Amino acid sequence: MAAQLLFVIGKGGVGKTTVAAALARGAALRGQRTLIVETANDGRLAQLFGARPLGAEPQRLASRVAGVRVEPRKLVEAYFTRLLRVPLLARRLLASTSFNALTAAAPGVTEFLILERLLGWVAPSGLLARQSYDLVIVDGPATGHALALLRTPRNLASMVPGGPIGTTARRLLALLGDAQRTRVVLVTIPEELAINETLEAHALLVGDIAVRVERPVLNRVYPRRFSRRDAEELTALGHDDGLLATAARFQIAARREAERHAGRLRRALGTTPVVLPQIFTVALSAPQLDAAARRLCGTLLA
Amino acid sequence: MAKRDDTAKARTSLLHKRLLVCVGTGGVGKTTVAASVAVAAALHQRRSAVITFDPARRLKDALGLTRLSTEPQPVPLDGGARLDAMALDTKRTFDEVVRRFAPSREVAERILLNRLYQQLSDELGGSAEYMAMEKLHELAHHRRYQLLVVDTPPSAHARDLLAAPTRLGELLATRAVALLKSPAALLGTSNSSIGRVALRTLLKALERWTGLTLLEDLSGFVSGFETMIAGFQTRAAEVAALLRAPSTAFVLVTTPEPDAVATVIELHRELRETGFPVAGVVANRVLAFPRLETLAVEEGQWPVPLRRKLLANYADLHTLSRRDRRTLGELHEATGLPLLAAVPMLTEAPISLAALRRFAAFIAPGLDEAATAAVGAAV
Repeated sequence: MAAQLLFVIGKGGVGKTTVAAALARGAALRGQRTLIVETANDGRLAQLFGARPLGAEPQRLASRVAGVRVEPRKLVEAYFTRLLRVPLLARRLLASTSFNALTAAAPGVTEFLILERLLGWVAPSGLLARQSYDLVIVDGPATGHALALLRTPRNLASMVPGGPIGTTARRLLALLGDAQRTRVVLVTIPEELAINETLEAHALLVGDIAVRVERPVLNRVYPRRFSRRDAEELTALGHDDGLLATAARFQIAARREAERHAGRLRRALGTTPVVLPQIFTVALSAPQLDAAARRLCGTLLA
Repeated sequence: MAKRDDTAKARTSLLHKRLLVCVGTGGVGKTTVAASVAVAAALHQRRSAVITFDPARRLKDALGLTRLSTEPQPVPLDGGARLDAMALDTKRTFDEVVRRFAPSREVAERILLNRLYQQLSDELGGSAEYMAMEKLHELAHHRRYQLLVVDTPPSAHARDLLAAPTRLGELLATRAVALLKSPAALLGTSNSSIGRVALRTLLKALERWTGLTLLEDLSGFVSGFETMIAGFQTRAAEVAALLRAPSTAFVLVTTPEPDAVATVIELHRELRETGFPVAGVVANRVLAFPRLETLAVEEGQWPVPLRRKLLANYADLHTLSRRDRRTLGELHEATGLPLLAAVPMLTEAPISLAALRRFAAFIAPGLDEAATAAVGAAV
């Protein structure tokens, strides 16, 4: 039985890492062995679990949660060392500037290697292969890069007819196209550009890439704190210059914006976003992460 | 306070640079910051241009333009301020570069029609970044402007942007490409048998990567491009020097969200390692609700049930303000960079030239004190 694969995608800074971490916690609480794959190099994921920075091999983050970081350069080395079998040849190849310039510039090389690595965790193959995870969550990368990543198998499968790369590309294509196993979660915030990008990405994911996309996650939604009557009273009393009134007006406007953007998502995608509230603490606590996990898992991991 | 003096100094010197590069992840308001810095500089009587990658209609509207394209468009500012805006189109710029620098029109056409070129000019790793650098080179050499403000593509990796000027030239000049053009040539020059085996294996690996039909395209592409390599390398070296010049400054743009700040710390590390001059940080969408001291007066104005809600709401926003201050403090600690400006969170995006000017006033105070006060009150 192969693992499920979940991509958490969104613009930089919208809270992808937090959502990925919350999903992992939720899955672990349901007894699933979960691996989070970090594609950024900012150490946020380990920080959320209070663990040391992630490395190239999976390490424990919490009960039933492991984390790993994929680093393109290391993937290139590992892949060609495996492909060439002779370490001396591999070393020579990897030391050549030609080779490095080519792999850095050629479209799809790092994307392919990231996916190839994922495949090893999702569906290990070979005689001694052992399934270590039930769920693999990919944290990021930012939307543009993520779309390029998900498009790679199709491009490669059509470009490369045979050989190990063509075979892997076709395995990846089958995995990404399997709605029972691979899903994408788009994370966004109630902000004009972020919503626009989410809608564009959604259209490409569904139409062009043909992968299953879950309900979007709308993060940092201000709670509805003031009723319409409160707002009227606020205006009627007219003490407009004070900090309390200013803060209230800010909150009312932020809430209105959030509702407007939630409506845009709903109308455009025909589905209600999963709403995560704006959290009013200095740092995200474990109980808050668990609360987010409960909200997300009910709908996204069912 | 020494810190405040540093900030003032950094801000003033910012507008007297010749080139400002705004970097940061997507969605932090980088384009708005780039546009408003350019507006501020123009209002300071510096002939300026802003180059953006964001073809968003909103920016076009904010600048009061009817169109935004690769051609410079004058922004309607008063008082003789001169500002041009242009948006970068990677594919078009790449085509222009080919037309301008190819040795003959035939070679240019051959490259432009090549299937591989058509794919690569869009998808080649870092081609957007590379074309930004080409455009920059062109504009810097024109000397039409005293200040160029560049909004960078939404890339989290400085490495992509900064390696771009050298990467393409490097790639085209390498033996790997020569090998694709004529594999036998390289096998002949290698003098050890191990080397020969390695090269043959490399070739095989490359064939697997590309597929054989593509190899043919590549060969055509390379023989066309070859004639332009020297030019690429010269310009790449010049851009690299320009980016490190004392008249250049990088500005990091971020929001105070922990996710965004973590990314920007990483970005700064990459910039510093590559030796690029970072002037400081512009923090956007910062909450600044101070601790309530003289509450009694204000509190008494409100009826009890509403008062309770107002206080609870204020306490929450004050907590977020504290978080923002703390995160920005961590950013300062990690990078040692001055905070050039903390632009407050506005409930409406700056979608008019007037709003952009108010935004600019946070980055260049003294530009428009009244505007600063107005925006301050709106928060």
